[in-house]
Amino acid sequence: MSIQILRIAALCYAGAAASYLVFFARPRHLRAASAGQVVLSVAFLVHAVAIGVGCSEYGGREFFSLRGGLAFIAFLVAGAYLVLQRFYRVPAVGAFVTPLIVVVLLPALFGTPGHPEVVPETVRRPTLTLHIVSALGGVAVFGIAALVALMYLLQEREVKGKHFGALFSRLPSLDSLDQLTQRLVRAGLLVFSVALVTGALVARGVWKSAWEWDPQQVSSLVVWLLYFALVSLRHTGWHGRRYAWITLAGFLLVIGSMVSLGSIPGATRHGGTYQ
Amino acid sequence: MSGREVLLVGLSHKSAPIAVRERVALSGDALKEALGGLRGLDGVEEAMVVSTCNRVEVYVVGQSLDSARRFFLDRSGEASEHLYQKQGPEAVRHLFRVAASLDSMVVGEQQILGQVKEAYGLASAAGTAGPVLSRLCNRAFGAAKRVRSETEIGRGASSVSQVAVELVQKIFGDLRGRVILLVGAGKMGALSAKALRDLGADRVLVTNRSAERGQALAEQVGGQAEPWERLVSLLALADVVLVSTGAPSYVLTRDLAGQVMKLRRGRSICFIDVAVPRNVDPACADLANVYAYDIDDLQKVVHQTRQMRAEEAIRAEVIVEAEVGAFAREREARAALPVLASLRRRAEAIARTEVERTLAHVGGRLDEKARRSVEAMALAIVNKLLHGPTARLKQAASSGDTTLPGAAAELFDIDSEQPSRREEPGGEAVTLREPKG
Repeated sequence: MSIQILRIAALCYAGAAASYLVFFARPRHLRAASAGQVVLSVAFLVHAVAIGVGCSEYGGREFFSLRGGLAFIAFLVAGAYLVLQRFYRVPAVGAFVTPLIVVVLLPALFGTPGHPEVVPETVRRPTLTLHIVSALGGVAVFGIAALVALMYLLQEREVKGKHFGALFSRLPSLDSLDQLTQRLVRAGLLVFSVALVTGALVARGVWKSAWEWDPQQVSSLVVWLLYFALVSLRHTGWHGRRYAWITLAGFLLVIGSMVSLGSIPGATRHGGTYQ
Repeated sequence: MSGREVLLVGLSHKSAPIAVRERVALSGDALKEALGGLRGLDGVEEAMVVSTCNRVEVYVVGQSLDSARRFFLDRSGEASEHLYQKQGPEAVRHLFRVAASLDSMVVGEQQILGQVKEAYGLASAAGTAGPVLSRLCNRAFGAAKRVRSETEIGRGASSVSQVAVELVQKIFGDLRGRVILLVGAGKMGALSAKALRDLGADRVLVTNRSAERGQALAEQVGGQAEPWERLVSLLALADVVLVSTGAPSYVLTRDLAGQVMKLRRGRSICFIDVAVPRNVDPACADLANVYAYDIDDLQKVVHQTRQMRAEEAIRAEVIVEAEVGAFAREREARAALPVLASLRRRAEAIARTEVERTLAHVGGRLDEKARRSVEAMALAIVNKLLHGPTARLKQAASSGDTTLPGAAAELFDIDSEQPSRREEPGGEAVTLREPKG
């Protein structure tokens, strides 16, 4: 049941992506951007329903699998973008964010929802819910930051290379993209820190030790350190291009470790197998 | 309605050198006076004068071009060989093209529409813009608006300083709180500095090898003069640096730029070099967050914009053509309307009188239903009789035939009243909102 609703949400996301891309191709059609936002809001609501129904069907177990995690990240990216849109009017970002949502959601749409058979009673606690939401939320915000950084790099190449093509007139100014990246990285780091702390708390409860040198723990710490360095270096004059590249690399590392650890059986005791 | 046509006599940057244009150009009170003078002339019912630095055009509704020609010849005898004159649809098309900025020196520039609006406003205020010019101008503004929104003719930067401004905006976005540094006293630099200041840049600093010239320039652009020796610290402060010195070699070398970037802690900086020979080493752009452009880069963009606009102009011409056609049809249909309306009014009045007379005689013997039938019959006869003539008059109007409405008016003894409510601009606006044909 929940998978059908999720498919409807995916269709809406695709519609929103199409609207935003039309706007990007023809910036004069501001209405396409507004339409995109409306359709995206609808998709977000439908997705919320799908998650609710999914929770009542599987008791939240699907979020312990990679596909459940990806679907939830797509949900959070949509939410984060809608919030962002309230503070900064950057419809051009929508043309980058919405296709990403569709891509991230794609693997969750086919087959039967796979999930660990049993979630041990020992893990069932509010800290775990907070851990999952903040971890995926942090990844979602890092994802948007990476897209804005990508926009910066594309724009910078045109501005610096004196080639004023199609992107030149469509993307916001370099300075605003740079600032937006910085703010998103800061917000993402904050949310991700919550995930790290709650993760340690859950680990102490289940594994009897907060730090176990589990690959997932190590990679999360590396990611956190990377973004922490990025936030601190800002004050010593890290701007623009370099900043954007590291933001992009950081997100690739996040997604890479998440996908590889999730798909190699036995690589980590995190998520699913709690022995 | 026949005989009254839209007529145009004028000269523009395409037909006359500036020496002639400036002699006939008018503004303010002189223009009002000239409008008043035009109205007093024989055969002029309505008049409007568009006067900008690139064109002076007199639009007249009337029967002959002579008075409009005299307007120019009175001001400059040389004008005669530079004048162009158009009438009817040609004049209409010309105004539409002017308003849509298709006839401008820089095609697609934004100011001309405002200037035509101003010309119409002046003519309205002076009472020389009657119903025909009002409809014409409104249609022209509509056409210009369509061109602007349906084509990309207004896009891109069309002058070097505009390109500089656009680049700076692409890098820094909002210019508030930014500092502009003008190095050298060249004219191009001053122009761009002014443009950036208008966009909200906070401070303009000026530095020049000769302190006096620097001071003079600072006053001219509303900036603050700084000694040449402080160049490095000024560079560390500024966000946009406009360079136009007469120096034969690089003033801003790559080494200097590297030093400055360290002082700036990597904050972005934009060098715009409008000097020839160049004053900024192009290798500066290799440094992170340094953006450097020379005059060639800027001119290349101007060239691209012109090319793009020339392509868009073809699409704009199609829109203008459609609007010219629509205006002509509307005008023709309007010509037949008064005759039709009078004819119908007259016929219905007759029917009503006859119905009343009949009912006064026999009405007492009829019930309500029968009375209504009598009324309906009278109106039906009128409608059936008028159906053919109405259709034919409308058809004649839309095909541009004005003789048939005249003949009909004469045959039925109707004064085809002309819309000559010149005194009331408000009344005119109402006429404009009437549905077409």
